[in-house]
Amino acid sequence: MDLLNDLFRSAPWSALRTGLHIAFVVSILYLLKQMLQLRALAGMRHLAKPKPWLGPVVIVLGLAFAAILAYQASWQLGGTSRPRFIAFMQLHDRRQFNPAHWIHRGRILDHRGEVLAASREVGGNVRRIYPDGPVFAHAVGYAHPRYGTAGIERIANVQLNGGLPDSLGDWGELGRHLLTQDKRIRGQDLTLTLDADLQRLAVERLSAAGNGRGAVVMLRPADGALRVLASTPAFDPNRIDGSLFAGADPGTPLLNRATQGQYPPGSTFKVVMAAQAVEAGFSGLIDCPADGYTTSSRYRPIRDHEYYSAQRAGRSWRGHGRLDLATALAKSSNVFFAQLGVYYGHDALDASARRFLFNRDVTIADSLSGRLTMQTGRLPDIPERDRYGLAQASIGQGKVLTTPAHMALIMAAVGNGGVAMKPLLIAGDTPEPLGRMMSAATAARLVHMLRRVVTEGTGHGIDTPGIAIAGKTGTAENPFGDSHSWFIGLAPAHRPALAVAVLVEQGGYGSQTAAPIARDLFAAAAERGMLQ
Amino acid sequence: MARAKSNPADMTLGERWALRGPERQLLLWALVAIGLGYLMLLGALPKDNIAVHLPELAPFVLYMAAFATAHAVLSMAGFRGDMMLLPVTALLCGVGLMAQVRMGVLDGPSRSLLDLLMLPAGLLLLLGVTLAGMRGRYRLLAGGASRRRALWFWALASLGLLALLLVTGQRFRGAVYGFGFLTPTELLKLTVVIYLAVFIDASMKALGRWRRPLPPLRTLRPLLIVWVLLCGMLLLQRDLGMVLILNLVLLVMLGLGTRHVGWWLYGGTAAVAAGGLLLGVFSHGQRRIEAWLSPFQDPTGAGWQVLQGLSGMYSGGLWGEGFSEGRPRYTPIAESDFIYAVIAEELGFFGSALLLLLFLILIARLYTIAARARTPFGMLLATGIATVFATQTLLNVGGVTKAIPLTGLTLPFISHGGSSLLTAFVSLGLVLAVSDGEPPKARGQGQRAKAGNASAAAPRRRGNSGSGSRGKRAPVGLGEARGRGSASGRRG
Repeated sequence: MDLLNDLFRSAPWSALRTGLHIAFVVSILYLLKQMLQLRALAGMRHLAKPKPWLGPVVIVLGLAFAAILAYQASWQLGGTSRPRFIAFMQLHDRRQFNPAHWIHRGRILDHRGEVLAASREVGGNVRRIYPDGPVFAHAVGYAHPRYGTAGIERIANVQLNGGLPDSLGDWGELGRHLLTQDKRIRGQDLTLTLDADLQRLAVERLSAAGNGRGAVVMLRPADGALRVLASTPAFDPNRIDGSLFAGADPGTPLLNRATQGQYPPGSTFKVVMAAQAVEAGFSGLIDCPADGYTTSSRYRPIRDHEYYSAQRAGRSWRGHGRLDLATALAKSSNVFFAQLGVYYGHDALDASARRFLFNRDVTIADSLSGRLTMQTGRLPDIPERDRYGLAQASIGQGKVLTTPAHMALIMAAVGNGGVAMKPLLIAGDTPEPLGRMMSAATAARLVHMLRRVVTEGTGHGIDTPGIAIAGKTGTAENPFGDSHSWFIGLAPAHRPALAVAVLVEQGGYGSQTAAPIARDLFAAAAERGMLQ
Repeated sequence: MARAKSNPADMTLGERWALRGPERQLLLWALVAIGLGYLMLLGALPKDNIAVHLPELAPFVLYMAAFATAHAVLSMAGFRGDMMLLPVTALLCGVGLMAQVRMGVLDGPSRSLLDLLMLPAGLLLLLGVTLAGMRGRYRLLAGGASRRRALWFWALASLGLLALLLVTGQRFRGAVYGFGFLTPTELLKLTVVIYLAVFIDASMKALGRWRRPLPPLRTLRPLLIVWVLLCGMLLLQRDLGMVLILNLVLLVMLGLGTRHVGWWLYGGTAAVAAGGLLLGVFSHGQRRIEAWLSPFQDPTGAGWQVLQGLSGMYSGGLWGEGFSEGRPRYTPIAESDFIYAVIAEELGFFGSALLLLLFLILIARLYTIAARARTPFGMLLATGIATVFATQTLLNVGGVTKAIPLTGLTLPFISHGGSSLLTAFVSLGLVLAVSDGEPPKARGQGQRAKAGNASAAAPRRRGNSGSGSRGKRAPVGLGEARGRGSASGRRG
């Protein structure tokens, strides 16, 4: 007995033990082989010939066992493709060597390869690290054993865990992994279309402006690739705890203001009205008196902002007089567009709403595990009797609401000859047109007009030599305080390569707060050669 | 090779010994394999700082001795039945032994003498039953001349067992136990199978005769009465697993025994209907189905057991952790219901596939003996026993891997449980007895015997009136009691 004990405690025992394991398996296999050979020898001749049902019965049995084994294999060997199973094991299983605890999820990268999310072994555990903290929180999301997954971490969950081999190399890796019992599963990396530098700049500027709440969406008109998807305030995915999910505070950092935040667009909606007018062949002038325009004496007249600034300064103002469409857009005249909207009527506005994809949810990325969507604006049917409501909607107030993502999408359509492409977040997704918002000729004219906004109009504060920015400022009144500051734009105007929408909650005038952020983003993009 | 004598009674001891040579070879290898595994197991103990003492070897020594003795006795008795069953059973019991030792059931403080002796006792029972039933003596179970008495006996035995349990049993973890944690319901697997075999054998012709596209209910009536009582009492005890097994056995025995496709059709639809009804009535069943379909709805409650089993399997991977890691068990009720999950974890997917292959070989062998049995009664008996094993194995493994809902059935030979093991050995003994065939012809009738052998011993056909229409019927293997064969009018 002591001999045996000494053997067990001796140094080469673990190697011997592996040898024993192998010998055990080999001897059983040999035994099976023997059984096959001896089957002939051990045939019992004193018994009758087998009845014909024996064959089918054994086959059915064999199939039943095989089916169970196949199903077992889908859990035992293919467990990485079952995200809820992996989540369960990460949370509840105490086996130290369960591979689920050691999955090195694939990294999430921006379009240049910078790491946005990675797995690191920290103190005997594998943890998910987000180097930029809150900057990419809404787009990239989080993967937490207790709180689950969100964002891209959720959409691409199975792929990041290594459960979706999609090339021969991946299958080979999976096979090698199974055969060698390598506990450290490596998932596949995922590349996004985002640009880390631009996004960081956007978040930095947003946090410093207004009340620190806002959103920036920047995308490429030609294929819809999202370069910036920023929303502040944001949470830090490195430090998630239960208090983040408690309560229903409207200022919650969980809200993605870029894709879900509905705000009055203010003057930026005039782009939609201008497109509607150009499509309808508008070519005249409209008189814009200083007193403004109203549909009924019961309602307050809609006036231009110059009127109010003159009033505050104690001056008087003559009014714009007769304006054409391009100049009205450049000067952002409320009086002009209110009359324009009422002139074309409710049906035309409904038609525009449909063409511009209002009242929809657009999927940005989806998979079996989840879906990332953006809301487009909300423009309800305005009743025929409500002409004042129509007038208000035409200047982007009243019943109309939009999201920053929607405004960026509209700008991208203008820059893409009128065709809106579905926004993409995952590099490699196929570009897909969402719809045609306006004709190519209209789009070209609009770009021209929007360029004039920056060179001569309300946006001239951000006119930069070397970068031909075209866009529209917006100052959206709202019942909560200061006006929201908007800017939507394209650059370079002669061949738009990027479209942007910037919203700063309660930031004041569009030209004052949002427009400079957009200009800085365009400048940074130009430096990186993204405006070619 | 010298011409084998057809009558083992004529063989010398040496010849009898040589007759079972293949079995000896296989058994030897099985014992070597299990020995290696056991050594591997023992080698893990020092990791927990437990020194290996002599008593630790006791389970393995007893196991080896038991099987070797069984083989020796069978050889000396001139048994000429199946030679693969004993080695396969030895392997399965060996794996079970290793699993139980790994669980700490068979060593350490929780060991009791009873547990240790269970395996040798089982083999003793096997020997007893085989020796008593060989040479065609197993037919005595069917009552010999008086079928009715046998039918009554076995029906009353089954029902009486259940009634006794209902009155005296206690409920524990959903099952009902008799005195001292035995599960007498295990015996039902035997008594009901024998009852069914006697019944179908007795009315084989009538059961095969379907005048209209409806089953011959009049013939079935006594069976149905017993069946309703049986299933009723089982459902009262909420033993859904046993109901499942028995009904499947009934279906298969009727189908294969009478070879009338109608039994399959009716049986199949009846099963589906009954299953639906049961699930509707028993919330217990509904909870099981929910836990099976969506275990993640309640992962720490209803789905816990199965998910822990699956987690263990996932940790094991392809090759398994090996029996050598001294880890505490995380899978609940691992000793009996979920032993397969533990084996899949420790021996990996590969190991569990091998285990299932062994079970497949065992069950296929049982069915082969059934298909080659000399008497219809033997065929039915062996079919029933084979189906019991098949159903138990498939339902247990299917439940553990979440392929089907959990049914609370245990894995034969591997799971811990005295009554289950003993019943399994008795069943195996019966099938071995069937595989021994009929008593060999006495010297005088050797000529006819040879001629009969040459005509490939056709099994008696159903529906044969008289003896002549099918040409030469092989009377080989008829014992004295049969005599002229059809005098008693029995078809079976």
